[in-house]
Amino acid sequence: MAISPTMFIIPTGIGCEIGGYAGDALPAAKLLASASGCLITHPNVMNGGSLSEKNKDIFYVEGYSLDRFVKGEIGLKSVKQQKIGIIFDSSIEHEIFMRHLQVADACVATLGIDVDSYVLTKKPLGIVFDTESKGVSGGLIENPDSLIEAGERLIDKGITAIAIVAKFPDELDSIQINAYREGKGVDPIAGVEALISHLISKFLKVPCAHAPALSPIVLKENLDPRAAAEEIGYTFLPSVLIGLSKAPNLIDLDDKTSDLTIHPSNLETIVVPSGALGGEGVLAGIERGLNIIAVKNENILNLDNLNFNYPKLIEVENYFEAAGLILAMREGINPKSIRRPLNNIQHLDFKN
Amino acid sequence: MKLRRIDFYLDWPLSIKITNLRKFIIANLVKKGSVIRWSIVDIKASVESPNKRKIRINAVLTDSINY
Repeated sequence: MAISPTMFIIPTGIGCEIGGYAGDALPAAKLLASASGCLITHPNVMNGGSLSEKNKDIFYVEGYSLDRFVKGEIGLKSVKQQKIGIIFDSSIEHEIFMRHLQVADACVATLGIDVDSYVLTKKPLGIVFDTESKGVSGGLIENPDSLIEAGERLIDKGITAIAIVAKFPDELDSIQINAYREGKGVDPIAGVEALISHLISKFLKVPCAHAPALSPIVLKENLDPRAAAEEIGYTFLPSVLIGLSKAPNLIDLDDKTSDLTIHPSNLETIVVPSGALGGEGVLAGIERGLNIIAVKNENILNLDNLNFNYPKLIEVENYFEAAGLILAMREGINPKSIRRPLNNIQHLDFKN
Repeated sequence: MKLRRIDFYLDWPLSIKITNLRKFIIANLVKKGSVIRWSIVDIKASVESPNKRKIRINAVLTDSINY
């Protein structure tokens, strides 16, 4: 059966009921990968702190590069293994830093991942939180040059994929954090995490993903299961290293020397939460006439197809239905044939 | 390089089809800086004209093009 390349997007920091927590969209990603035979998705979907999975049908692509792929600027090329380097924010405390180094060593020893080296930023990255409009998680970093410079150092040494670990302030809003841990709020650090990885993708054009360095927090007994993956262990680095270990190379389409595993023209469908249609990837997909499957997945935004009236958008109730729809498309079955009521075929005249 | 966040409303003339909306937004964003991250966070009717809507955009930009 031919594959039906599908992109799965869950925007970061908008509090999605599924995928707004700690890798809690990973089971849905596995389902969609099974239905499509080829799923391209991003770290926010796949990273569950210490938990993640390798899946031969899933392509792990950071959000900025994901958008470039939909826009038709890059293609993806599978690799046997990436050579990973880690950028550590120089403001990380010694004990937390050592915990991260041990995680990296463990991933080499136990999982066979090629984590080669690390570099410390010359200046602290300086994370500054800021809740953006409509309650979207956001913020800035004060020293982006230090981040890029550290990445360049790794690439100069032959690194092909970059994990970034930034120190997040201890004075995070405890009310917001607790709401998130209880499954009631937006992940407060997600927006800055996306910004950090977008900077590496934009300026260095290699696979990358971010893990935050946070001080240990006190035990919470009424923890929401969707946030539980972030309570395991001392770091969030394992899922990043697992994801990056087989992340595809990002090939500029001007480069005629590289064979591609997936060309952007192969992409058929984008799956996205309904109400979250305002990202660049979805709009680029609409521009290209792709199928958009909008899945009911409550979040803080309200941008649905009433605003766009895009004819190739299909709204579905859940990811089971999305998977069935993708499977029908993959098999060449008209989805309308399975729904009721079934309308007669249209009569076209020559007037319009 | 310095980063800055902007949050602004952009008039979306309905003569611009949805298939051209992304390019229309980008054309307006690049006047303000090099784009790192952006998204539409809200769309509402315009009180000024029935032929346009107001799009609320949130973005992070940099002024640097040195890389």
